[in-house]
This record gives sequence, C-alpha cells and structure tokens, in this order.
Amino acid sequence: MTATFDNLSAGDVIDGPKFAVSRESIRLFCDASLDYNPLHLDDDYMKGSFGKTNFGGIIMHGMNNFGLISRMLTDWAYPAGAIHRRLETRWVKPVRPGDTIQPSGIIKAKQTSEKSRWVLIDVVVKNQAGEKVATGEALVEFPRDLFCQ
Amino acid sequence: MAQTEAFETDFWKDANLRKVWDDIVPGEPRKTIPYTLTKEAIELYCKSVGEDHPIYFDEAYARTTRYGGLIAPPSIHILLMFSCTPADDWMRSPGTVNAGQSWSYNIPARPNDVITLQARALDKFIKRERLFVVHDNVFFNQRGEVICSGRGWTIRPM
Repeated sequence: MTATFDNLSAGDVIDGPKFAVSRESIRLFCDASLDYNPLHLDDDYMKGSFGKTNFGGIIMHGMNNFGLISRMLTDWAYPAGAIHRRLETRWVKPVRPGDTIQPSGIIKAKQTSEKSRWVLIDVVVKNQAGEKVATGEALVEFPRDLFCQ
Repeated sequence: MAQTEAFETDFWKDANLRKVWDDIVPGEPRKTIPYTLTKEAIELYCKSVGEDHPIYFDEAYARTTRYGGLIAPPSIHILLMFSCTPADDWMRSPGTVNAGQSWSYNIPARPNDVITLQARALDKFIKRERLFVVHDNVFFNQRGEVICSGRGWTIRPM
C-alpha cells in the first residue's frame, strides 16, 4: 500500500532491497563513485593495520550502504508524492565481499511544521547474520501539495 | 566523458602532495572544480547501487512527475564529492576511513547540470587515538541553486 502521511504510524516498517556484495560490486562502485581508495581494491594494502584497526581484507565503501538506504527511501517516497530530504548515517561494522546486506526503516515520528509535513525514520542496514553494519536517521517530507507518481 | 577519462584512479599517485591531518586547517576552503554531470554517469551510479526507478532513465515518464524531467538520485553526491575535487584533495588519501555522513537535499541534480562545490574542513579532533576530520560541503547547480549539503566524518590515515 502506498504510504500517506495520515495512514503512517510509529513502528511501521519499510523494507529495502537485498544487495549481494562481491569484489565486482565493489569495483563497480569504485567506477561509479570515482572513489578508488585502496581500502576497496588492494588486498595487500588491507593486510596492514590502520591505527587500531585491521580489516583483514578489502571492504565495501561505507557510502554504498548510504546509496542503498537512499534507494530504499526514494522508492518508498516517490509513489507517495513524498521527498527524501535528509539522511544521517554511521558505519558500525565493515562489509566484505560475500556479504548480503539489506537496509530497512522504522517510522519513528510524524511532525507538522508551519509549511509542510515530515516523517522521521530510523534506518539500519544488516548483514546476512543479522548484524547491524550501518545505522542512521532519515527525514522524508510529505508536501501538502502532493504530486503522486 | 573526457572528465572521467582524465580522472586519476591511482590514489597513491600524488599522495605526497595531499594534506595530512596536521596540515588540515578547519575553516579553510578546499580546492574544487566544476563538473558536468552526464546521463551516462548517473546511469553508471544507478547501476552500482541497483537504482532502477524510471525517473532516472525514462525521459517520457520523468516529464510526468513533479520534477518535469530526468533527475539523478539524491545520493549522487557520492560521485560528485570526487568529481568536483582535484587529485591532490585529502579526501583521496589512501586509508581514509569514512566514519559517518549527514546530508540534506534541496533540489535534484539533473543530467547536464554543471555542478560546483564549496567545501572545507570544519573541525578536527582526536578520539580513542584516532585522528578525525569533519568536512562540510555544499553542491550547487549552474544557476547557483543548492542541490544538497552535507557533512562527513573521516578517520585520517596515520
């Protein structure tokens, strides 16, 4: 069912797309984002330590999580005539080739301002073991002049 | 596509020219370069995260929407961060670890927009023996309209 501002309630869930992470998907993200940091490319480099951290191998871009969350939000918002306005994220666990990740959201609150209507969403990305790899918060605007697609 | 072809993908090259944590001055603007966002670059970005909504690909459909034409996904700033900065920008230092991001969206970027960036380090600090920098960024289109603005927290290589 397409979301409307009125029919949304705290606790409602948004399911995002599953995403299979591979060396190829990471390489494609390098080409698409122009982020060629060796963290995502160079196995030998990743044998080393980074201050207190040793990743043990190449890792997916944190911003790949961000892009997946954003995709979930726009795919949810567009049919409702709503607009993805804000996304804040933290990366809590590295994602590696072979992992399958999936973002989801839970409606946290609704808020009306002088000129518009807003939905606050807690977002999370989990891996195939159910571990959180990214967490965050999003804001989606439901304008009063809805333009449903 | 000349812009993409000219992009240096070896981030080790010129690594010695980039500022390290000690050199970064919060408040000092970063060097940036204008970038023309192509339909092809948008499509490649979409492919990398599985974006398949027709508003990014189908001109006839996109004309029927509130946007009146093709747009880029909001998260296109992921690409713009690297396309609007030169090879000696410290965001490319190998080992830069992204710790978190926060972005606000005003209007969408569109194919053929000429994008400019105003960017700076806003803060730097040490936490649990790690060297952090907070960076602050605003992307504009060719009409000077804000596309999006955001902050990122990175752990600098040591």
